[in-house]
Amino acid sequence: MNALIILSAFAIVILYLGLFNAKRALLPVTLTGLCVALIAVLAEWNTNAQPIYSGMMLFDNFAVAFSTICIFSTILIILISKDYFERISEHVAEYYAILLFALAGILVMVSYYNLSMLFIGIEIMSVSLYILVGIRKKEYASNEAALKYFLMGAFSTGFLLLGITLIYGATGSFNLESIRGYVVSNPTSISTLFYSGMILMLIGFCFKIGVAPFHFWTPDVYEGSPTLITAFMSTVAKTAGFAAFIRLFSICFAPLSDFWMPTIVVIIVLTIFIGNITAVYQHSFKRMLAYSSISHAGYLLFATLLLGAASTNAVFVYATAYSIASIIAFAVLILVRRETGSSSFDSFNGLAKKNPLMAFTLTISMFSLAGIPLTAGFIGKFMVFSVVLSEYRIGLIGLAIINALIGVFYYLKVVTAMYFKEVDREEIAVPAYYKLVLCFSAVATILLGIYPNVILALF
Amino acid sequence: MTLSLFYLVAFLSIFFSLLVIFSKNPVHSILYLIITFFTFTIHYILLNAQFLAIVNFIVYMGAILVLFLFVLMLLNLNKDSEPLKSNLLKIIGVIGGMCLLVTLVGSTKALHLSDPVILQAQNLGLVKNLGKVLFSEFLLPFEVSSILLLSAMVGAVLLAKREPNNA
Repeated sequence: MNALIILSAFAIVILYLGLFNAKRALLPVTLTGLCVALIAVLAEWNTNAQPIYSGMMLFDNFAVAFSTICIFSTILIILISKDYFERISEHVAEYYAILLFALAGILVMVSYYNLSMLFIGIEIMSVSLYILVGIRKKEYASNEAALKYFLMGAFSTGFLLLGITLIYGATGSFNLESIRGYVVSNPTSISTLFYSGMILMLIGFCFKIGVAPFHFWTPDVYEGSPTLITAFMSTVAKTAGFAAFIRLFSICFAPLSDFWMPTIVVIIVLTIFIGNITAVYQHSFKRMLAYSSISHAGYLLFATLLLGAASTNAVFVYATAYSIASIIAFAVLILVRRETGSSSFDSFNGLAKKNPLMAFTLTISMFSLAGIPLTAGFIGKFMVFSVVLSEYRIGLIGLAIINALIGVFYYLKVVTAMYFKEVDREEIAVPAYYKLVLCFSAVATILLGIYPNVILALF
Repeated sequence: MTLSLFYLVAFLSIFFSLLVIFSKNPVHSILYLIITFFTFTIHYILLNAQFLAIVNFIVYMGAILVLFLFVLMLLNLNKDSEPLKSNLLKIIGVIGGMCLLVTLVGSTKALHLSDPVILQAQNLGLVKNLGKVLFSEFLLPFEVSSILLLSAMVGAVLLAKREPNNA
């Protein structure tokens, strides 16, 4: 709760700083706000939290862990935003403020204990993202992305809201505990409205996290929006969506898993195949990352097959690994694009000769995304797959491994471009902030890959 | 008496909402939408939800739909500029929509009917009760939605504001 207040207050402070044209102070103040919020979140770890404000929010360890990773990824993204917004527009303060507002919405999303809070959290995040996607006002792709995202987002919110309404109609409450109580106490006579509500909420969530067959907006929106915002959406917003999804399903719908499990299995198989196979055919690095984020959403959904502490932990590790690796990839992409003006694989040719640091960190990130051992991505995949294996779903694991192999192929495409294709190119100047983020993320990826115990047994 | 009124209004809302999607002219579509929302208002009054009825009447029928009309007139929709949709997409859309319809109708049909006109709780939809709930149990969502409104407002100004230089 404190973190939510701190973030909102800092967002308003930043708006005022923008009013008084204090441009130099924006980045430090934003970072301070995020750090203070991070400390406030961490202070609630293991405090045996009770639901607050008549059962509206619950800052349990689940909420603390996911808030931490979201705030932390945002700090990394804000660090590489130096000089980024300035190139787009004069009104830099508003962007930072809206990013913080989005993060406040995300904190609500990961710690809700009442469906009304879930809805408001998702809306705060989505509305802020609609705006951030469209901040390149003069660029056609950005406009298209913003409009598409807005229409799709509004449409999916309709499904979510109808689902919430039907569940309220069945149970008479928005409170997660009461809903669970209803499910547990009437195992045989659950109202049919409840089932429709569950399916509609599932559809709404699938839209928000962009898994097949509700993924059509993802590539266009991720490609059209500014790269920094794509980084935010595909890491922080996606993690938050998954956290909200798992919170709802593990608290309320877990007893009815026989009902929704087949649906989720079909969604998973579709998602990983569509995401991976389409990613192979992409010529643009950014679009490839968009498709790979679809397939990663599929892997993350694996963990919902067995709800419980193990799966929460698996999702947490996987989301952490994926976020850190993606941030490296997007940071390098921003620099390369700034230099060459394109985001195709060819613009990475020969990068290793001139910018060994960038090439090396990007290689680590690609290895992590592909799930090669000694990186965090491997640990994430390992944990997710072991959750599924404990359910003896061998066929599903087989499909997932085939897809992981396809993934290795397209992730290594950029690595071969950097190391083995010789092109005369200028050295790209890497600002100190970028160096910090790149080095830190690469070290974190390797460290989590070698000593996974740091975050392995949190739950 | 009220039961037949309910059926009449229900029929009218379905009828006009069908007209909304089937009329060729977008302006007519919006005018039908206004009538559809008006029938919703009557439904709310029949259910004794006074506050919802008033909000629906003022905000939706009054403000939002007039905004729709303005936007439509600015957009200048022509037949030529409308993208063609393939038949396959239309068929898939119809199948998907029908599946959703069957699910929803099926799930509501399995419920036992209560009398649509006799209220279980007399004071349910009164403004007084709504205010009490909003400021006690639902205080936090009520307050947090201010973040939503603020970020939407900042964003709207940001997107609409003219940039001084052509960067």
